[in-house]
Amino acid sequence: MIFSQIFDMVNIGIVILDKDLKVCKWNRWMEIHSKIPREKIVGKSVFTFFPDLNTPHFLRNFKSVVTFGNFAFFSQKLHQYLFPFETTEALGTSFRYMRQSCAMGPLRDEKNVIQYAYITVQDVTQLAAYQQKLKDLSIRDPLTKVYNRGYFEKRLEEEFDRYKRYPGTFSIIMQDIDFFKNVNDTYGHQAGDYVLKTFASIIVSNIRKVDIFARYGGEEFCCLLPETEIEAAMNVAEFLRARIESNIFQFRDTPIRITMSQGVAELQEGTVSAKSLLQKADNALYEAKRCGRNQVIRIDSSSQLSIDPPEDTPSPLPQQVNAEDIQAICHETLPTAQRDKSE
Amino acid sequence: MGDEHEYIFSDEEKDILQEIMNIAFGSASADLGDVIDIYVELSTPDIQVLDVGDIPSYLIERMHFRQKETSIVAQNFWGDFKGSGILVLPNKAGRNLITVLDDDQAGLDTEPIAGQEREVLMEVGNILIGACVGKVCELLETFVTYTPPRVIHDSGNEYDSFVKSFDPSQAAIIMETVFKFQKVDINGLLFIFTNQEAIEWLRKALHNFMESYE
Repeated sequence: MIFSQIFDMVNIGIVILDKDLKVCKWNRWMEIHSKIPREKIVGKSVFTFFPDLNTPHFLRNFKSVVTFGNFAFFSQKLHQYLFPFETTEALGTSFRYMRQSCAMGPLRDEKNVIQYAYITVQDVTQLAAYQQKLKDLSIRDPLTKVYNRGYFEKRLEEEFDRYKRYPGTFSIIMQDIDFFKNVNDTYGHQAGDYVLKTFASIIVSNIRKVDIFARYGGEEFCCLLPETEIEAAMNVAEFLRARIESNIFQFRDTPIRITMSQGVAELQEGTVSAKSLLQKADNALYEAKRCGRNQVIRIDSSSQLSIDPPEDTPSPLPQQVNAEDIQAICHETLPTAQRDKSE
Repeated sequence: MGDEHEYIFSDEEKDILQEIMNIAFGSASADLGDVIDIYVELSTPDIQVLDVGDIPSYLIERMHFRQKETSIVAQNFWGDFKGSGILVLPNKAGRNLITVLDDDQAGLDTEPIAGQEREVLMEVGNILIGACVGKVCELLETFVTYTPPRVIHDSGNEYDSFVKSFDPSQAAIIMETVFKFQKVDINGLLFIFTNQEAIEWLRKALHNFMESYE
């Protein structure tokens, strides 16, 4: 009597399945959240009402519970939920379904033989929402909402490790907004922030979901393009360059126009580290700046080569590259007067 | 070390436990084939009684006998029989197991590869530790409850805090077996540690087991 009350009073879902996966018990919490009354589901296979549960993963865990007396754990972090129930939290989360932490365990008869498995379902939507927010705070830039430098470098290392083990390649684009200091000085920092935010949102809406785009610092951004050879990366960079150049950044009543310089590098055999690849893209970016801005430059060679800068120009390159290894796509450059201003 | 622990566990008791583990692991191996669809070969288990303080160095010595880089899955269990199960696998095992067990699990597509590996290691560790502990429990007519498994990497803080979690004043019985997944050519080590407080119960359970055959 008391146990049956607890079964229906607790604030978690409890389901009991027999060895054939038929529902034997379905508590009140499950009735309310699933909108399936117990008289309708008891005696039927749980897959009749929840066909998406019928996966090798679920069956493997179920079998290990009824065979060995194991416990199985389905964390919300990876599985999100076992039963697709509507969320009840009013936190304004973007989750379509209630996030659940579920566990499965064995139930034995009086002879100590496993006859059933129980599943507990705990609503952890609120916790998952907080976790999501904390994660976003730690990996995103607060102004532009794109990834931050720390996250980018971590993912770059991961991608580098992955491509060391498997065939394929990836490219990175380093981007820098030309003369950004002028935007701040001329229109104020609020306008500068607006330009950075809009710039980031234009780039994000013009790359793939698998690409990793981050604010690297100040007005410098970078983009990692998985499974992308340098020719394709150059096309992407050129498309983005044209898109930014043609956009009017309308801040209140003031139209602002900007351009950007980009350096592109591809992972190649002989690239010793993720850091050195980033350095290559950065070198190409410096070269794009040096050659007049508003252009895309690539570096092909994996070796560190050199280029002699004009005699009257101090070299902007921390590591120099060979002229034939640099290919630039040059476009109309900014007026000379603007180009001469320091950034 | 064996002599000073003679009072904790006699040679006869070790022999009985050895016999129980032979039966249990044979049965676990057969059933694992049905559950995860991979044949798992478990070697004849080796039993030792150690000071808990010696476990970390024992583990390091044993874990590195084949490969330097390893992944560890640890899981505690409690009941009359109480202790920990520790599964030691080569680092590449997680990735290889993904390809065998991959069944388009929800969420795996969006999860970075490191997360997928962790999840697969936890699932396999949970099943393998549970199968071996569960079969021993079945023969000793008891059952246990498990805590969620966790993955520990052998570098950095994770391993250090794991090692520090052992109470050096205690003694433990270590049951060790080498396992081999045939389909994916992965092998590793499985340790089951029994806490000192469960040893007295274990001794009685072993004698009860023998009495049922006399």
